[in-house]
Amino acid sequence: MKCEWVRENIVLQVYGELADDARHELEQHVVRCADCAAELKAEQEFHALLESDRATSPLMQGPSPNLLAASRMRLQEGLETVKQGSFFSRLAFDPTTWLRQMRFSPALASVILVLGFAGGVGATYKIYAHSPQQPGTPTPAAFNDASVTGIESVTQAPGTNQVTIKYNTTATQEAQGSLNDQRIQQLLLYAARNNYNSGVRMDSVGLMTQNPSDTHFRDALMYALQYDTNPGVRFKALDALGPYVKDDTRVRDSLLQALVNDTNPGVRTEALRMLEPVKADGSVRGVLMTLSAKDSSQYIKSQARTLLAQLPEID
Amino acid sequence: MLIREAQRGNRAAFEELVRHYDHAVLRLALHLTGTEHDAQDVYQDAFLKAYKNIGNFRFECSFYTWIYRIVTNLCLDHLRKRNVRKEDAPVAKDSDGGEYDLLDQVPDARAGANPERDLMRRQLGARISGALEKLTPRERMVFELKHYHGLKLRTVGEILHTTEETAKNTLFRATQKLRGALADMR
Repeated sequence: MKCEWVRENIVLQVYGELADDARHELEQHVVRCADCAAELKAEQEFHALLESDRATSPLMQGPSPNLLAASRMRLQEGLETVKQGSFFSRLAFDPTTWLRQMRFSPALASVILVLGFAGGVGATYKIYAHSPQQPGTPTPAAFNDASVTGIESVTQAPGTNQVTIKYNTTATQEAQGSLNDQRIQQLLLYAARNNYNSGVRMDSVGLMTQNPSDTHFRDALMYALQYDTNPGVRFKALDALGPYVKDDTRVRDSLLQALVNDTNPGVRTEALRMLEPVKADGSVRGVLMTLSAKDSSQYIKSQARTLLAQLPEID
Repeated sequence: MLIREAQRGNRAAFEELVRHYDHAVLRLALHLTGTEHDAQDVYQDAFLKAYKNIGNFRFECSFYTWIYRIVTNLCLDHLRKRNVRKEDAPVAKDSDGGEYDLLDQVPDARAGANPERDLMRRQLGARISGALEKLTPRERMVFELKHYHGLKLRTVGEILHTTEETAKNTLFRATQKLRGALADMR
């Protein structure tokens, strides 16, 4: 066996990529050849050097749970705006591509402009001709939360789903309606995000917990969980989001954010408990591993270890 | 099956697929680009591309290989562009366009515990980063997939549309270059 062959294959030996017979030959050769033995030793030392860096360098240890969660959220937003390409769509005649290929871009722009103008005029005519008029009552579309300067109070009539919200514009006003009323929903969302009074936020978040399947409410609950300054409000939002942790990955990410970043130990403990059913998820596992290694709370650390111990090993 | 569901347009199935692979994808992108900002861009582009083109996936290779092909192509593009842009390592640019030294890219999580050892660790990290930067994009990719991701060279070849033999040769060249560049560190 030539030394040249051995030297070219030492790297494969170190990475376990050599076939069994070749490995055997290489091992026999380095026993007899001092130069090749030194080359093998040098390659092994080089690997040890890289490994020592990998063990201590945070960059080499992979992305943080926060980076992963942020990337997932950004991807979900991105997915809202893209469409899947299908086999048939690739076969279909696409006039815009054709026009572009024919260098008719100016013509295409003109056509789009004319069609857009005509469509706009037509749509306006239709809206004015057919929109129902209800004099005396403001339509939901007429409600503009930019005019609301603050929410005075939020109360629910006992035993019903009727809600009364006092809010200020230039003067205090009052709105009444069911939880399904669009105007009430808008005011609740406004109250959950903008009010300086944590009691009002608590009431509005509390009402939203009655219908967390509504996507706007769920978004507001996730917002409250992450950004509300009052731990009671965050706790309430967390409880309402719990049932969705399995099916809604955005909820899962919000709970992970709360588990990692929340300043309140109670909120963190509750978030950890709620994530238990999805502990096998890659991002949850990643967070648990981080927490079990270096969390400041002994309780969280030990709970994270317990959950990890229940998981099967992965490669 | 998740892939078939995702091909039918089921977004939840696609998101579940993403969760199977995205940690490894982000890790690869983070190693190769060196900044969280660029890594997030590669992650985003890769999965949006996968979402748009999942209908073209014909089960001729594993989904793992397919998604890695997308990511490695994006990373290779990134590395090639960066090689054209950069004049001299180890200076890189952050998301705001400001320059910083790659030494600062290695966070000092244990500062204060042992300053000398920390300094040596930082120096080693910076030297390794500098040596990796000097590889060609393809050598860098093969080394990354083999050394840091532990993939078999046959899989690396499949991902990079080449043979196992070529992947072996590329790995050999990469390690020789790295050993040469880091000879005085041992």
